[in-house]
Amino acid sequence: MGGLIYNELLVITGRWRSYIGFIGISILMPLILWGFNLGGGSINSEYTSQLGGSFIMVGSVFNSLLATYIIMNAFWIHIPFLVTLAAGDSVAADGANGVFRITLIRSTSRLKILVSKLLASYICTASLLIFCAFWSLGIGSIVLGTGDLIVIDNGILILEQGEAWLRMILGFSLAILVMCMVATLCFMFSAMVDNSVGPIVGTMFLIIIGYLVIAIPLDFFDKIEPYIFVHYFDVWLDAFKDPIPWESIGKKTSILVIHSAAFFVIAARVFIQKDIKS
Amino acid sequence: MILQTNNLTKSFGSRKAVDGLNLEIPEGAVYGFLGPNGSGKSTTIRMMTALISPDEGEVFIQGKSVQSLGNDALGQVGALIEKSDFYKHLSGTTNIEMLARMDGTDFSRVQFVLERTGLANRGKDKVKTYSQGMKQRLGIAQALLSKPKLLILDEPTNGLDPQGMKEVRDLIGELSSEGIAIFISSHLLDEVQKMCSHVAMISLGKLITNGKVNDILTNAGFVMIEVLVDQLEKAQDLLKSLEWIGHVDIIDEALRVSLEKDRISGLVQFLVQNELKVSAVIPRTSLEDLYLSMVGRERII
Repeated sequence: MGGLIYNELLVITGRWRSYIGFIGISILMPLILWGFNLGGGSINSEYTSQLGGSFIMVGSVFNSLLATYIIMNAFWIHIPFLVTLAAGDSVAADGANGVFRITLIRSTSRLKILVSKLLASYICTASLLIFCAFWSLGIGSIVLGTGDLIVIDNGILILEQGEAWLRMILGFSLAILVMCMVATLCFMFSAMVDNSVGPIVGTMFLIIIGYLVIAIPLDFFDKIEPYIFVHYFDVWLDAFKDPIPWESIGKKTSILVIHSAAFFVIAARVFIQKDIKS
Repeated sequence: MILQTNNLTKSFGSRKAVDGLNLEIPEGAVYGFLGPNGSGKSTTIRMMTALISPDEGEVFIQGKSVQSLGNDALGQVGALIEKSDFYKHLSGTTNIEMLARMDGTDFSRVQFVLERTGLANRGKDKVKTYSQGMKQRLGIAQALLSKPKLLILDEPTNGLDPQGMKEVRDLIGELSSEGIAIFISSHLLDEVQKMCSHVAMISLGKLITNGKVNDILTNAGFVMIEVLVDQLEKAQDLLKSLEWIGHVDIIDEALRVSLEKDRISGLVQFLVQNELKVSAVIPRTSLEDLYLSMVGRERII
């Protein structure tokens, strides 16, 4: 299996479009960090005005950890698109390019090939988020400095710097899990068709529909919300609650894993029975 | 038998692409698979290589059912299905190494197959820089990777120039002499006749005939003969009026006539009776004549 995954990574890393997400992040993040560096004072003032009545603020609350938290919130809709760029190609492109006529006639089973492609997609997905973390936390720490993390959600949570880093690791780990589910959904569509655009459009369509259902305050939508996988995408935010709601994280991650497993089973069923005519 | 198909059947919608096909390919044979476009050749080959599932029937390779065992039955099969497509953004060597990794084949074999197909000096180049002939040779290289006992080639000379065709034909000859059974579909009937020990013809998904090439030509119901005669146009006009004559054409200062086998002496007698001088009757039946006769007849039916 290791050899098959290595093969898939060779294919992915050899395609320039696999780097679109990384290039995008490499362009955006310096701009965002530069913007934060220039405009960080206003964010600091905003926090200070909200907290100033209750706390004595010394120095700036704005640092790479807060910037990362803000970036994660802002990027939440866009990262899935970057994830689908690699996942959408993984199966469909081989069908479109006729490569299956050479790879699927060998003694390796289709299931093994499919699993290796999925795992390679996961590696790409995780790499993308780790790259994002490298910019926002790594480079961000150099540009903006570090310190305690103040999270204002349904209250005020002040996390000491060491604890905040651990929460960031947990947050990014959960984000990777969520994005792997997105990759699996796109992968499922990729196994069904012979072009790379369809899976990307299909996945983003479902995600946007999900976001809309969650955002629109209708009773009917409220009822169906728990059955929509997008509803559990915010699991990473649980990493910044106190105490950490492990039960909620466990439930949400289980649902996401079950969704991923279901998407993969569908993909495998379609792919194994698929007639390769092209 | 190295490969056997039992009642192989496949439909796409209401169209039956392959209809109850039974084939037996002996060990070490070079087996030609002929049929017009859309006759079901590619579908049959794809069923043999587990790319397409049959609706009915089974393919056995060395006694192992492809339908029951899936890709496990393909361990000693090398195949090139139509034009060879690879990851174009990777080099030829990388592509073959990837396939070696899939097969669990030693990497030393990669260089061997590249040398065997004359690509060793271009192995490091990206496939997108290869000519069609080089891609096809790379396709044969990947088919040879797992030391196959059976090589399945679907139109291996498609898109090649005459030099490329000759190279592929020579390579097939060499592989055959090493005892590898070769199942080859092609439109180049002359080449098939030169290369193949056995042949099967299909039309509209059904088997028309199969067996050893010589046996098929010998047992064919008709023959093609070349008749050297003094007045070609007059002879042609006279022969056209006979019911038992198939085709009469003038080619290279001779008459090419197709007719039933036991009518040759009658034809000579007829021409002599009409005061024509017949200097020679040369048998010229080719696989192409047989193919056109049989496939044509099937299509009319």
